[in-house]
Amino acid sequence: MQTDVMDREFVHSGHVGCPGCGATIAMRFVLKALGEKTMMVLPACCWSIIAGSYPQSALKIPVIHAAFETGGATATGVRAALDMLGDTETTVLTWAGDGGTFDIGFQALSGAVERNENFIYACYDNEAYMNTGIQRSSSTPYGAWTTTTTGRDWKKLRKKNIVEVLVAHRIPYAATASIAYPEDLLRKAQKAKNMKGSRFLHIYASCPTGWRIPSEMSVKIARMAVQTNIFPLYEVEDGLRYTINYKPREYLVREYFRLQGRFKHLTDQDLDQIQQMVNEDWELLLRKAGERA
Amino acid sequence: MIMNESANPNPLFMPRTYLTTESNKTGSWRFARPRYDEKTSPCSAACPAGEDIARIEMLATQGLFKEAWETILLENPFPSVCGRVCFHSCEDLCNRREFDAAVAIHSLERFLADTAIRYGIKPDLERRTPRKQKIAVVGAGPAGLSAAWFLTLLGYSCRVFEASEEAGGILRWGIPAYRLPLTALRHDIKQIEAQGVSILTGKPVTAEMLEALKKDFDAVFMACGHGLGMAMNVPGENLKGVGEGLDFLRQIRDGQTPACNGVSAVIGGGNTAVDVARSVVRLGGKALLLYRRRRRDMPAFDPEVEMALDEGVELQELMAPVAVAQEEEKILLTLQEMMIAGEENSRGRIVPDHGKIHQVRVDRIFKAIGAQAVEPWHQPDAADRDMLRLTHTVLNRRGTGAVLVFGGDLTNATKSVVHAIASGKQAAIALDALFQEGVEAVVPRMEACRVGDGQSLSMEVYLGGERRLRNPHVVRYEEINTDHFQFIPRVTQPRLLKEERARSFEEIDLKISAQLAMKEAESCFNCGICNQCDNCYIYCPDTSVILERDTQGRHINYDYCKGCGLCVVECPRNAMSLGEETP
Ligand SMILES: Cc1cc2nc3c(=O)[nH]c(=O)nc-3n(C[C@H](O)[C@H](O)[C@H](O)COP(=O)(O)OP(=O)(O)OC[C@H]3O[C@@H](n4cnc5c(N)ncnc54)[C@H](O)[C@@H]3O)c2cc1C
Ligand SMILES: Cc1ncc(C[n+]2csc(CCOP(=O)(O)OP(=O)(O)O)c2C)c(N)n1
Ligand code: SF4
Ligand code: SF4
Ligand SMILES: [Mg+2]
Repeated sequence: MQTDVMDREFVHSGHVGCPGCGATIAMRFVLKALGEKTMMVLPACCWSIIAGSYPQSALKIPVIHAAFETGGATATGVRAALDMLGDTETTVLTWAGDGGTFDIGFQALSGAVERNENFIYACYDNEAYMNTGIQRSSSTPYGAWTTTTTGRDWKKLRKKNIVEVLVAHRIPYAATASIAYPEDLLRKAQKAKNMKGSRFLHIYASCPTGWRIPSEMSVKIARMAVQTNIFPLYEVEDGLRYTINYKPREYLVREYFRLQGRFKHLTDQDLDQIQQMVNEDWELLLRKAGERA
Repeated sequence: MIMNESANPNPLFMPRTYLTTESNKTGSWRFARPRYDEKTSPCSAACPAGEDIARIEMLATQGLFKEAWETILLENPFPSVCGRVCFHSCEDLCNRREFDAAVAIHSLERFLADTAIRYGIKPDLERRTPRKQKIAVVGAGPAGLSAAWFLTLLGYSCRVFEASEEAGGILRWGIPAYRLPLTALRHDIKQIEAQGVSILTGKPVTAEMLEALKKDFDAVFMACGHGLGMAMNVPGENLKGVGEGLDFLRQIRDGQTPACNGVSAVIGGGNTAVDVARSVVRLGGKALLLYRRRRRDMPAFDPEVEMALDEGVELQELMAPVAVAQEEEKILLTLQEMMIAGEENSRGRIVPDHGKIHQVRVDRIFKAIGAQAVEPWHQPDAADRDMLRLTHTVLNRRGTGAVLVFGGDLTNATKSVVHAIASGKQAAIALDALFQEGVEAVVPRMEACRVGDGQSLSMEVYLGGERRLRNPHVVRYEEINTDHFQFIPRVTQPRLLKEERARSFEEIDLKISAQLAMKEAESCFNCGICNQCDNCYIYCPDTSVILERDTQGRHINYDYCKGCGLCVVECPRNAMSLGEETP
């Protein structure tokens, strides 16, 4: 990684993200990689607030605040306008939460990437609708408490595998990344920047408030998600070529779950079941990457 | 068609931001306050010389070998010697040990010293302005030379009186060349002389001379070592063929090749015994090492015992000599077999196993059961209650004459090279405090330059260097964020083959390359000190760690820092702390 890339900064202090906010770390990293020639489309999410209320901005690049479900469509329009102006240099980046990506913005995203629109779509995943008060999304993992999956009605459905959905569109580039692995994240963002067509980054961004974790643990937890294979780091080119970027020493998922208040109701049995689900997903990924027959 | 918006009769209204969020001083949210807070590494507190090991390895990682070497010199004028013969208690407490293996601090020290020799590097060390007091040092062993070195850096003029023809004490006349070659020792001593220490060799100080020195100098540092072997107190021990191990080693170091044909019995379990036995083997003889306790109770450094056995030394444990007799050409040695009656101070307590008497016929016997001061006046009077007894030195400032200070083996509980160096440093600091501020200042000044919570003293701290800002808290393994480190196999010290070893006095431990050394140094966690990794900057969600080119390299902008604590947790080496926010 070039050190000057890590040294440049596009996020102002004074934003109103919660202490320890993973989404803010994710933003800092991605913009360091993409640089100032970037235009951002920002559908409703925590970042709509973090980016500042009028007339303030927390970002040093132009941002268009867009309707919740329009991340894919608005970016399509911005790209088209830039192309008409002859500006091929500027990168168009949609920055959306998991709710805005997995659920409500899904059709606009699917439509845009099906057309192979020339933009980067980055989804920072905090596994719930955090901005409106921790409602469950289709990204919320199995086992989690949210304000809409409370008490014994904790979420008993799997998290949607969004990267595989994007891969099924055969887009040029889809990758996972984590705030706990800055070098990997910056490399992927730079790689995406240097490609054309639809590029998708799924960035794991812990949320101290919604996950009920201490603020200083947010990077540690994100790192554990990778170390336990809960959130593997990999990339897929043209919907075909899988590369697993990091082979963890496969810590047990138990450690990860035990540290978070949103999982505190889970029993040992539940955790065993989750471990099996994680193992299953990992095996599947290894097969796709050609590392298992 | 592209339309110019300003030409539009009904222009589109787009609200545009024109301020940054920097007008929100989010620092007011904070209830915990991160700060840069460099701490003490366990290795440095375990090093009796208090070397700043975490920093030394950091500099070595960056290829700054001269700076790393100078950092050693600030606390220890004998890197070339200690890189070879120090027992490196630093490595025993290395935090990395709990992760995979201790950092090879010892091999790195030797590497840095060798590199300085190879490139003829001269150190740039600060020296205080000259002071008027003059100090005499009796004995040019590691204790005496260290005291002279540190006193010289503190601005005093020192003169060292040494009885032997060459300086070094046991380093020159005891420890064999296969562990400490002359060139290595001479380099360190030359370095010390180059700082302005004058050493007069062939000048034994007598009791009368000492009285004269006390008149001519403001202080005299007594560092005569333990040069006299102890008696076994068994009949026949003064017969011909029974000699002192220390004398034998001295002959070899003097260039002689004493006869070693047949079997030599070596009595003892310390460094001297092991070195005598290994030297016998090298001179073509057979060595039988007899120790009255078990191998694991031997005071000698275990790796040395291991190598001695590899080289062909035979060890018999639990054997105590009871009589020596002449039997024709041979010597008849009668031994009482001992048994373990319990454990005390982690050593076996032994009693005779009655009835079990052995006899061996040998060609000669070397005694190596310990040593003592050659003259009673070399030592502080144990009964004198007015002396100031410090951890490694004893001060006597009776009356108006010169201050008399005793150090090195004469006063140290643990007799080793690095403890001798620690003693020399302590004497220098004590004398400086005494001369500059009076006797009451000695103990508080000493306290103020302790490394961590142990007994080691730092000259850099005493001199008011950067290191004084370190928090004395000794970093524990649990305080290292090991997520930021990978397992790396520890460098293996290359050595001569045992076949090569058994025939010559060539140095056993070979050099390691600069590449290997840097790799090894890189494995150091740098416990408690900032190595500019920038993790704090990288992970800050609030862009509140500001890079700048000051001494730290970055600072926290408290106008915006919300006190999330990520920087403190993600600092791999505990160079930061999270404190309470005081309104
Ligand atoms: C064989 C052997 C092997 C050892 N191996 C190790 C080892 O591997 N690692 C380790 O850490 N320690 C080792 N030690 C211990 C270590 O060498 C001593 O603890 C250390 O040298 C003590 O230093 P010193 O300066 O107090 O005394 P010394 O090194 O004994 O020096 C005292 C000096 O004073 C001089 N002197 C004495 N009387 C007078 C006088 N009246 N006038 C002028 N000069 C005088 C002597 O000639 C001598 O040069 C070993 C010791 C021995 C004997
Ligand atoms: C059409 C529409 N429905 C609902 C909302 C209210 N809303 C704003 S942000 C948000 C949650 C966004 O969740 P996610 O995309 O996961 O981002 P996060 O807040 O978690 O960062 C919701 C429901 C909206 N702005 N528009
Ligand atoms: S890891 Fe480095 S600083 Fe820490 S104890 Fe070991 S040698 Fe010392
Ligand atoms: S995180 Fe790195 S740069 Fe920051 S204080 Fe710790 S060692 Fe220094
Ligand atoms: Mg969300």
